[in-house]
Amino acid sequence: MSVTELHAARRARRRKRADLRAHGEPQRWATGGALMLGVLLILGFLLLVLWNGLATFTPGPIAVVHLANGTVLAGEPTRAEAFEPTDETLATLPPDWQERIQAEHGLASRTLYRVGNYDLYGEDFRWVADYEIRAVEHPGDVVFVERAEWGPFVGRFARIELAGTSVAAKDVSADALEEAHRRARERREEIRHVEREQIGAVNREMERLRLELRRAELAHGPGSEAASRTAARVEPALAELQREYDELAARAAELRAEDSRHRVTLEDVNGTPKELLLSEIVRYYPANAIGPFGALGIYASRWWEFLSDEPREANTEGGVLPAIFGTAAMTLLMVIAVAPLGVVTALYLREYARQGRVVSLVRISVNNLAGVPSIVYGVFGLGFFAYTVGASIDQLFYPERLPAPTFGTGGLLWSSLTLALLTVPVVIVATEEALAAVPRSIREGSLACGASRWQTIRSIVLPQAMPGIMTGLILAMARGAGEVAPLMLVGVVKLAPELPVDGVLPFVHLERSFMHLGFHIYDVGFQSRNSEAGKPMVFVTTLLLIVLIALMNATAIIVRARLKRRFAGSQF
Amino acid sequence: MVQARASERKQRPPRAVTAYLRPKQTPRRVVWQDRIADWTISIGGLAVILAVIGIMAFLVDVVVPLFLGGRVVASHRYELPKTSGRPLLVLADEEGILAGRIDEGGTFTSFHLPSGREIQALALNLGPTRVTAFARTIQGGDLIFGFADGSVRFARLDFDGRIVAATDVPPDARALEAGHRTDGAAVYAALPGGQMRRVAAKLELLEAEAVSPTGRPIVALDYRVGGNRERPTRAVVAVDEAGAILLTRSESRLNLLTRELTTDVRRSVLPPVAVGSTVVGVLLTQRADEVLLGKADGTLHRFDVRDFDRPVLAETRDVAPGRAEITSLGFLIGEQSVVVGTSTGDVHVYFRVAAPEARTTDGRALVLAHELEPHAGAVTAFTPSERSKAFATADANGAVWLRHATSEQVLLRPGAERRADVTALSLASRDDGIVTLDSSHTATYWRISAPHPETTLQTIFGRVWYEGYPEPTHTWQSSSGTDVFEPKFSLVPLIFGTLKATVYSLLFAVPLALLAAVYTSEFIHPRVRATVKPAMEMMASLPSVVLGFIAALVLAPLVETWIASVLLFLAAFPFTLLAGAVLWQALPTRLALLLEGVPKLGAMVVAIGLAALLSQQLGAPFEDAFFGGDFRLWLDGGRGSGEPLLFLILLPLSFGAVAWLASRLVGDRVDGWLRDATPLAAAAIDGARWLVLFAAAALAASGVASFLSLLGLDPRNGLVGTYVQRNTLVVGFAMGFAVIPIIYTIAEDAMSAVPSHLRAASLACGATPWQTAIRVIVPTATSGIFAGVMVGMGRAVGETMIVVMAAGNTPILDWNVFNGLRALSANIAVELPEAVKDSSLYRMLFLAALTLFAMTFVVNTVAEVVRLRFRRRAAQL
Repeated sequence: MSVTELHAARRARRRKRADLRAHGEPQRWATGGALMLGVLLILGFLLLVLWNGLATFTPGPIAVVHLANGTVLAGEPTRAEAFEPTDETLATLPPDWQERIQAEHGLASRTLYRVGNYDLYGEDFRWVADYEIRAVEHPGDVVFVERAEWGPFVGRFARIELAGTSVAAKDVSADALEEAHRRARERREEIRHVEREQIGAVNREMERLRLELRRAELAHGPGSEAASRTAARVEPALAELQREYDELAARAAELRAEDSRHRVTLEDVNGTPKELLLSEIVRYYPANAIGPFGALGIYASRWWEFLSDEPREANTEGGVLPAIFGTAAMTLLMVIAVAPLGVVTALYLREYARQGRVVSLVRISVNNLAGVPSIVYGVFGLGFFAYTVGASIDQLFYPERLPAPTFGTGGLLWSSLTLALLTVPVVIVATEEALAAVPRSIREGSLACGASRWQTIRSIVLPQAMPGIMTGLILAMARGAGEVAPLMLVGVVKLAPELPVDGVLPFVHLERSFMHLGFHIYDVGFQSRNSEAGKPMVFVTTLLLIVLIALMNATAIIVRARLKRRFAGSQF
Repeated sequence: MVQARASERKQRPPRAVTAYLRPKQTPRRVVWQDRIADWTISIGGLAVILAVIGIMAFLVDVVVPLFLGGRVVASHRYELPKTSGRPLLVLADEEGILAGRIDEGGTFTSFHLPSGREIQALALNLGPTRVTAFARTIQGGDLIFGFADGSVRFARLDFDGRIVAATDVPPDARALEAGHRTDGAAVYAALPGGQMRRVAAKLELLEAEAVSPTGRPIVALDYRVGGNRERPTRAVVAVDEAGAILLTRSESRLNLLTRELTTDVRRSVLPPVAVGSTVVGVLLTQRADEVLLGKADGTLHRFDVRDFDRPVLAETRDVAPGRAEITSLGFLIGEQSVVVGTSTGDVHVYFRVAAPEARTTDGRALVLAHELEPHAGAVTAFTPSERSKAFATADANGAVWLRHATSEQVLLRPGAERRADVTALSLASRDDGIVTLDSSHTATYWRISAPHPETTLQTIFGRVWYEGYPEPTHTWQSSSGTDVFEPKFSLVPLIFGTLKATVYSLLFAVPLALLAAVYTSEFIHPRVRATVKPAMEMMASLPSVVLGFIAALVLAPLVETWIASVLLFLAAFPFTLLAGAVLWQALPTRLALLLEGVPKLGAMVVAIGLAALLSQQLGAPFEDAFFGGDFRLWLDGGRGSGEPLLFLILLPLSFGAVAWLASRLVGDRVDGWLRDATPLAAAAIDGARWLVLFAAAALAASGVASFLSLLGLDPRNGLVGTYVQRNTLVVGFAMGFAVIPIIYTIAEDAMSAVPSHLRAASLACGATPWQTAIRVIVPTATSGIFAGVMVGMGRAVGETMIVVMAAGNTPILDWNVFNGLRALSANIAVELPEAVKDSSLYRMLFLAALTLFAMTFVVNTVAEVVRLRFRRRAAQL
């Protein structure tokens, strides 16, 4: 062959493109598909939470369902699903239904109705299969009544008693009823104010005086002079407070008597009556006749109630204000505790320590702290902080309250310290990054000007690293707000009687138990009487928690991005 | 004036030169601040090490008492006033202040326990006949005497303890040791807060009742008291010299209105057993439904008295090996375990288990469950504990040992060997004291502390034979409704649960995360990367309580209804992605380049969506074809063979094997065809190649599956089993979801950190991006990838909320993916809030926390070591 022919042959043989196997298109699809699956999972999850969370508070229509067996039930349709009826049930159905079900591979469909009236029926929800339904109607006068106890009521107003006179419900105009309801709610607020706040203050003062007396007795002996002096001082004060208490109790009784003159009789769709005080009704609306603006109003008012009110009905209704409060209080305390420890350790690692064994030991410890499961921190917090340190504090400072523990059990302080220990690695890593980002030249310049090491750190390095430290603290807050496992052991409760931060001296009560949003989710979902009733509430709380954490993370990311931009051009 | 200023000006140095004005010494304040800062920051920095060590040390400190056995706190020995008869009973009160002794002659003495001073002495009028048998209930206070004339008498010994004010102590009370005082009838002990505890003994003797119809002496007795205050029951079994065994059961009803007591007495005679040797002891259960009779020749007879009027001899068993004789017999609390002591010093524990193939009349049999350390001499006395499976035994040499049945250990040997035979022995009701009395009326009282008798390394990590179980098992069951419960503290099911959850979640998470990381670092479009990376980081910050809630309340019911579709989806989506890739290869090059990036990702999303749709639609036919129409029924083992599931499991493996084989055998030839064809033809050939591979793989897999199932291998025996709604599959999904972002972030960072000159060099040599990724980038980043997987594993091991909510909380030991599990972390979270401080359960939960800590410590250290080693190597690049 001639050279030209050889070259031509070679050119013909030369590959025009990479062969398929080397290009690896299936492998690209495999890796990309994995990524897309992950992204779809996240998106699906977020959408699920968003959809269910946002849709929970919308007021739905009430269907009055006439069943094939003659009974009637009324309820709000919650969801529908496919299910397999058992063979015995199939045998009892008419042939056209059996055919229809067979055509669907043995699947029929059923709807879950929220029938409410737990005190009458013993159940909140009922499944109705579509083959059981004879007729469905949506009458305009059926109301959905949210009550202070026993959950919602589905039915109609029968009679209304205002100021002692009883009238049939249809003779009372909607506006008059609304006005009476508003006044009843105000009265209820006032009763609550008298009982909770005023009587509560009197009780607290009496308890304080009694504890003072007991403390004197414990310290000096029951018959001693110091004890009798204290008793002489305390007893008249107690008598005065008792008088005040009686007065307030009388006022409360008076208000309650007035309240009980305003009642309403409801009846369910079968005519069973139920009598209530007008003030026990939280909200009511004619579910099939409200129209879009009314629905929007109810939706907004439910959201407002959720964010600002206390829970009802074992946490399955009402609001989560105490939980938000508790989460915020604990997270703030945690940040106050973790900031010094984290920043100091990072400073040590970056500025002070000589590279060598000690530094690697500290780094290994930080990595191990980061890897320890959160429940182990909870165990340590309970055993060491609460039962050991707390018990000693009780012996030293609160002996008069024993055997009831003050600090010797879980509470706000121990929870914050436990979570501070848990989130220290996050702060350390973020602070180290921030300190490393401060250019060396600035440090050297400061030292050249005659500043000492501490002066350099305090005046130059730390202020420049502050945004990074803030990022770390915000990330720690986000992490702490989501941890539930250690808190289950050290201080979170299902229902806290008081807020940990309130207007009573010393304002921040470190020994009180508190509620927490994450624990609220666990509790309502798994420890309520009816988890189906609790599910909507859990979705809304989940949405709130995710929104809070996302906000905190977004803030951290924005701060970090701005920090990067600031330092982009600061090399000199 | 002006001239003066001018002269001053000449002396003062010019302003511009600051060197002269600058102070030469650092101000004291600054130096001190610096030093203080030094110290504070150094101490603060080292505080982290202190924190880790402190946590570990605290956990160990709480756990150590579990393994310490028992110790003697105080010991007293004294002689009581001698009486004519042999001591039958010694019993102490709850607080260890007062004790009582009864002897054969009917003398009752109460004495101060720490010192032995006699407080009260009574002579009981037991009647003319002598005492031939004696028994008491396990709880101590109810007594029964058997006489030579065939009658019995009941008695009750009570220690009446109450709290009185210090002023109520009579002024003429004389002082005793240990700060106590006595007024001749009761003993007063001081309590904090200025109060006194007053303890007095009260013995009540009831009328005699004839029991033996023939008037022969009673040789063995047992007595049980039960029921409640309104309906007390009493049961007595008596054996007389002639060998007749008589059972009496009386139930009294107290009419609360008329205060009348009506008693219903039933008697029953048990079938006589051959009177070949003497009866050593007889035992009765509280409900009088079982009687055990031990004879000196070593046989134990069990009578089934569930039908009271027709008792049956259910079983006879030889419990003393060889020529040894039974010397002591007794029930442990709960009346399930029997402790047999022999003349050779053996101490064996038997209990009843269901044994349908044994030759007994009721389908149950006694098994030798525990063999404890033998005494040197014959076992002469036995006393059970009132609150646990502990008991004390004494032998003929005077040694007194405190033991525990379940853990098979000797907790304490307080009695050194002495020449004395212990005739009366009792354990204090709170297990904090042992009192013995020998035939010469010398008493010994040991104050002991053995708070955790049931835990040893063997019981925590090994198999233990618990009461009523057919064989030794690993079980975790920390509490139950009754007081006589035997706590079962084995950590093995919990550790297994943790591992099972971790394995299944990593099985789901690691491939997904690593593949996604490869794509993100190598192939992704920069704009898409800016969106996807923060999204995955956001996923990492989701609280796990939210994931657990969705898994348990939304995912678990969904998976239960659509299980067949879920399984089909797992197989379908790789298939549709592959089909999409093959079709994409058919696109002309220019179009393919144009659509690279976001549109291709869109196509992938479509492929996944198609897979989901197909699995939902084809779920039912799939279930019909493979599992006979109902997957859950198939899982229960009802119908069909295990072949379909074996086929599905083997399919990916056989696909890999067939593909590898094909590429070795015909790979080059196929590559040649592909090279010389147009893009469309090449895509067609490639598609055909995949189809052929798939068909061959299916054939191979079905062949191997049939072969294996002919051999008898059925995955339903272990790998899968009965379906439970909250199962490991759901936990695997949820925990995988939690762990994916961690592995993804670390792996992706590691792959991006590979120096770009390596990537550039590989591409310059003609490698495609895929070849670069798989042969250059991934091997270089191995350490980071490995570290990421380790950190993910550490997170999965410690995950609590997801497991608490979605895993069913059943501590079982099997690999069935459709079953629940209980992990160490979930167990701690659920049980610690209710554990009593410093109880065995409390310390066991701390041990569980310590185990978790150790597991994550090991995983983290391994990750750190590997990362450091590879980092050094990678730095050379």
